[in-house]
This record gives sequence, C-alpha cells and structure tokens, in this order.
Amino acid sequence: MITKQLIDQIEGEASIFFDMKDDVVDFATIAFPHFRGIESILKGKSALDALVITPRVCGICGHAHLMATVRALEDAYKNAGYPIELSEKVEIIREFTLVMEIIQNHFKWIYLTIIPEVAKLTNSTREQTPLKGAYGASIASKAIAIFAGQWPHSSYMIPGGITTDPTNIDLLKVESYMDELIGFFEKESLGISLEKFLAFESCKDFNTLNSDISHLEASLVDIKMNDKGLSYDRFLVIGEHIFTKPSKLKQTRPFAIDAKYVNTVDAYSPDQTSYAKNAQYKNDFYETGPLARAIATNLPIVKNMHRRFKDSAYSRVMARVFELATLLEHAKELLSKIDISQKSCLKSVDIPKITAKGIGIVEAPRGPLLHSVNIKDGLIQDYKIVTPTQFNIGSSSKSNPTPAQKAMKGMTQAEALFIFRTFDVCSVCTTH
Amino acid sequence: MPSKQDKKPSIIWFQGVTCNGNTHSFLNLENLDKLLNKFEIFSHPSLPSTKDFDSVTRCSLECDIFIFEGTYDPLMKRNDVLISKVVEYYAKNAKYVIALGSCASFGGMFKASAPHRNSGLLFNEQEKSGPLLNQQTKIINISGCPIHPEWLAYTLSMIEKGREVEIDDLHRPIELYSTLAHHGCTRNEYFEWKVDADNFGEKEGCLYYKQGCRAPMTHASCNKILWNEVSSKTRVGTPCFGCTEPDFPRQNLFSTKTNMSIPEDVPLGVPKRSYLTMAGIAKTFHINRLEGKLIDYKTTD
Repeated sequence: MITKQLIDQIEGEASIFFDMKDDVVDFATIAFPHFRGIESILKGKSALDALVITPRVCGICGHAHLMATVRALEDAYKNAGYPIELSEKVEIIREFTLVMEIIQNHFKWIYLTIIPEVAKLTNSTREQTPLKGAYGASIASKAIAIFAGQWPHSSYMIPGGITTDPTNIDLLKVESYMDELIGFFEKESLGISLEKFLAFESCKDFNTLNSDISHLEASLVDIKMNDKGLSYDRFLVIGEHIFTKPSKLKQTRPFAIDAKYVNTVDAYSPDQTSYAKNAQYKNDFYETGPLARAIATNLPIVKNMHRRFKDSAYSRVMARVFELATLLEHAKELLSKIDISQKSCLKSVDIPKITAKGIGIVEAPRGPLLHSVNIKDGLIQDYKIVTPTQFNIGSSSKSNPTPAQKAMKGMTQAEALFIFRTFDVCSVCTTH
Repeated sequence: MPSKQDKKPSIIWFQGVTCNGNTHSFLNLENLDKLLNKFEIFSHPSLPSTKDFDSVTRCSLECDIFIFEGTYDPLMKRNDVLISKVVEYYAKNAKYVIALGSCASFGGMFKASAPHRNSGLLFNEQEKSGPLLNQQTKIINISGCPIHPEWLAYTLSMIEKGREVEIDDLHRPIELYSTLAHHGCTRNEYFEWKVDADNFGEKEGCLYYKQGCRAPMTHASCNKILWNEVSSKTRVGTPCFGCTEPDFPRQNLFSTKTNMSIPEDVPLGVPKRSYLTMAGIAKTFHINRLEGKLIDYKTTD
C-alpha cells in the first residue's frame, strides 16, 4: 500500500509516497508540487535583469544564484568576443559572500532542521535552541551585507566585477563580524576552539567534547545513522572555487569532470504532479553538497568518517558541520587577502552588443548550481537552471533510484523522513 | 489566574507562490527571540510551531494575525487544499491580515508565473481587485522584495501593543513607507549637484542618471533602517530597483531611460519642468571635489 507523507519546512513543501514492505520502505517517490516558471519569466528580458530575477529563485541561497548568473553572463561576454578580466579583489569578495551564504545556510539547517529532527528520533529532552541557528545566520548575513548591501536578494555582482568599492572601514567591520561569529560558534556550538576542532582527525575526537555538536554526533550514532541512509557512494563537485575542487568521485577516488555531461530528465512521480527534474551526470545519479566537497578536498576528518561509515546519514550530517567550520576559517583567510586599491568593476561593453551563449557554475550550499543562458542582442532567448536538489532528491524508477530514494530504502518511515532531510532539501530551488 | 501564555496573540504564517525570501529576511531580525516571545507561533515555514501544518490547511484554527507570504494563485494547493480556501477562511477569522512582501502585496515577481490569474491579496499591481477586497480593513501590506525584518517587527509590535498602524493608499504603514529609498542615501550630494556615476564599482556619483536607480521614486526606508543593520543597495553602489512599489519588477533594471540625457522619470512629486530647470543649472557647474576621486589609495604594484 502506498502512503503519502507531506514534508514542510523544507524551503517549500514536498510529498513522499512510501511503498512499505514488512514495515520498511521498499520504494519511495517524491513530488514537488509547486512551480514558478523563473526560466520563462527570464525570456525576453535584458540579460542584466537576470541579476535581479534569479536570486529570487530562492530565499536561502539566492546569492549562489546571483553568482551563477554573473558567471554565465561573463562567459557569454567572452564567447561574444569581449572577454572580461576580473581583479583578484573581485574574485575574493565574490567568493567571500558566497561562502558566508553557505555558512548562514548551515547554521539554520543544523539548529532549525537537524537537531530538532534528531531529537524526535531519540526522544531527547535536551533543551532545543533553534534560534541559535537564526542568530549565527544573521551575523553571517551582516558580513555579506557590508559588501552586498543586503542579504537576502542582493544584486551586487555584475559583469566586470562588483558594484561596491569597499574601504578599510568596511573590511574592519567584516573582520569583527567574523570574529563574533567564530566566537559564537566556538562557545555555543563546538565547546572548543575552532582551531582545535579543525585539527580533529578521527570521529573519536568528538568524545572529548560536551556541546551541541558532540551531542548531535552521539545522537546520530545512537539512532544508528552511521549505518543507515547509505546511497551510491559517488559524488560530484562542479563549481570552481578556492575552497573545493571540481571532481567526480567514486568513493574517494577522484576523476576529471566536465559540466557538459550534466543532463536532466523529468522526475518519475506517478501519484502526484511534480514539477521537479532529476539531474544526472552521464545518465548516472550522484550525491552533491558538503560531503562531496569535503571528500574532493581530502579533509582528513571527513575521510575518516567515510572510511568508517561510508556515505551514511551520519557522514552527510557531520560533513555539513565540518564544512561550516572549515568555511569560517576560509572566509577569514579570504578577508586578509583583499587589496582594496584594486578595481571593483571594469567597464564592459553594453549588453545589446552581446549575442552568445554562456554557462555559469557555482557550488551552492547543497551542491552544484548551473545556469545556462542564450543571449541575442542583449536579450535572453533562453535560460536554464539546474539545482543541487535536482541531483540529490530526484524521483526516479525503482530500478534506477536517485540518491535520496536509494538512501531511504530499507528504512522505517520515521528513519526515511529523517534521512530525506539529511540531504538539506530545497523545494523552491528544485522547481524554480 | 490565566497565565500570560494564554494571552499571546497567535500567528499563522502561510505561503503562496514564493521564494521564502521574506521568511529568511525575518530570521535576521535583531533580538528575534524577544519579539517571538510576545506571540504564539501556530505555524511558520521554518520556526518551531505549536500547530501542525495539517490543522492549518484543514482550516481548523483561529488565529489573531494571518501572515501571507508570496503571490496569490487561486489554483495553487498546499497540502492538497486550495490556498483560496485557506486564505478566505483565515482572512475572515483573523483580526489582522499581513500581506508580506511585494508578491503578497501586489503580485510582485511571481505574478508573471501566471499573469492572468495571479495577484496580491488586496491589490493586483496598482489596482485594488485582489481576492480579499471584502476584508480590506484588516489588511496591512508590507511590500518589499524581500521585506526588511524591522518592518514586520514594527507592524507586529504595534498590533501586540494595541496601537493603530496608519496606512497609505496602498495599505502600507506610513511610518515605513512615507519616505523614499533616496532619503539617507550616502550619494545624495552627487544627486544634488547632478554628478552621475561613471561606472559601477565606484564610490563616487549618483546612480539615478545612468544606472537605473529608482530610489527617488520609491517609497521605502532602506537608507533609514539599514539592511542587516549595516548597509543598503545604494550604499554599495547597486541601484534601487523599486522593489517596494506595485510595478516591481520593472525591466532594464540597470539602466536609466532618458530623454535628451535627462531621466524620463523625475523624482516623485517634482514637476518635470522644475526638475529640468534645476538639473540644467546644476549641470553647468563644475565642482572638482565631486568630479574627482574621494580617496586615492596608493597602489601596491
């Protein structure tokens, strides 16, 4: 018998249709019922307007969409014969604000989603502190806003650079927000200094702590999530950044990657209309996101986790926690490299002179985000967006399940619902 | 004795066609916990809630404040229930309805998802013809894409304290929307003397003449109540896109439409002829201080 479960509080809603056999999931399909048609809204608009429209795909990762758009436009400029050289300052500031958006996402996900969901499964009586997530995210957003004017829905990246021309006053402010945020994370989440936490090499090191994070880790083991939620154990990282490395990974073995092999197919959703698509690489499913990025960069602690617990729900969750920590350090380092005397924006030719195609790829909080644009005389002919949740949480047939479908198989319904959320679902991005 | 708990006004925060931008903007509110303590959150897209989503869509609750985020699409279903039914029920039974964001206020970005049927709750762009016409006395529009968290906090606090929120013709709180986004812009001096920005990424120059800035025509307090407490679009050299107005999103957002190098849309309420005269005079001046660089950093290379 097929039973339907509504999932809310996932940046929108989704339905999971469970087919149970002997009290465990035999098969599950996933439907995302809402649709906004951003791609068709973009058609016919000035290509620059995409910088304002695409961030509105998503309230939690709109900045990643902004950066994917600006990269796609700059690629189109290049293909039209007007290559754009960015100053190092621009590259660093763009990466900084993108990274800070990932950080705000992870803060919210840990405290508003994962800790409460784990508590449900463990019947924990430990006091819930969801607003720690919002507070951490709000400090990260302040740091973004110094450069980007606001978060969410900034449009400060434009072809040629960024609109802002920061001073040392701005840099000092951002640095102090970073110190505040790191201090908060150390005191409220880790119970240890960031430096010591980042030196962890084994999962056993968590036993030395007594904090939100060590409690989360221990709870995951209690509910055996180190042995559940396993998927294909192959990963994709596509966006080019300083903090990770584009690669296709089979277990931990890296292979070269080329974005041209990304394809999408309509989701299989026999029980409800779904507007989702499944994203694949050479027709195969791969998992994306923090676990993929950590394995691509050989992060010792995550490699240790992976050796012991493979691509279990445990590894997926704890890789996100570790990504938050590594990105805090990375963001601080980026700030120290900014040379404010460099140009913020180079003049580029007027957009009506551009007739070309372009592709922009970034790593968003949940994995690779791809924007492809086709521009004629400065106007958008066609715009296509592939999002990380389409890689992770597609819905396919029983014989060829997506990473999330595979991870839920064999679980009780309660476990499956939890495992579903370990992928950090973004419903609005999926159906854009 | 009834506990204080019982008296907290209850909130249902319900979404139509949306990106969640207002939800996430609100989570940035300073002292969020203090505000939330004054209310009982029955339902919210990401915060802990005391009622489940099923009971919301079954229309089995009574709440004091109904917050609607997103564009209204009469054919959209949440949890298999038409949102038209949910909205109608809570609009009738709540004391206040807050249309949160430009989508809920006027249709906004996602009016274009289904232009012939999508709208805001009370307005369809400028026109007062939305589905809640017969509940209009309850409706407060907080426009913006997204809203500033303080704007919602202000509105909720006024309601909680039993004070009246005065609204403008578009049902927006006048204390938030009486001024223009231009008020408090740090580039005002360039506006006064008609010195335009040469390019993006510069500290100098006004963005109204070439870069499409809508701040002199847009009701908002973005440069008064700063974003994330620290900045605003125009402070970082990004033009204002007029996101609090019923015609958002306009087109060609990064360029100013001009006639004989004068912006086609002049600052709100200023007669065009007066503006042209004043601008013409100001343009004849050459003020070196404003035409040069504010700061010349010694380059390292």
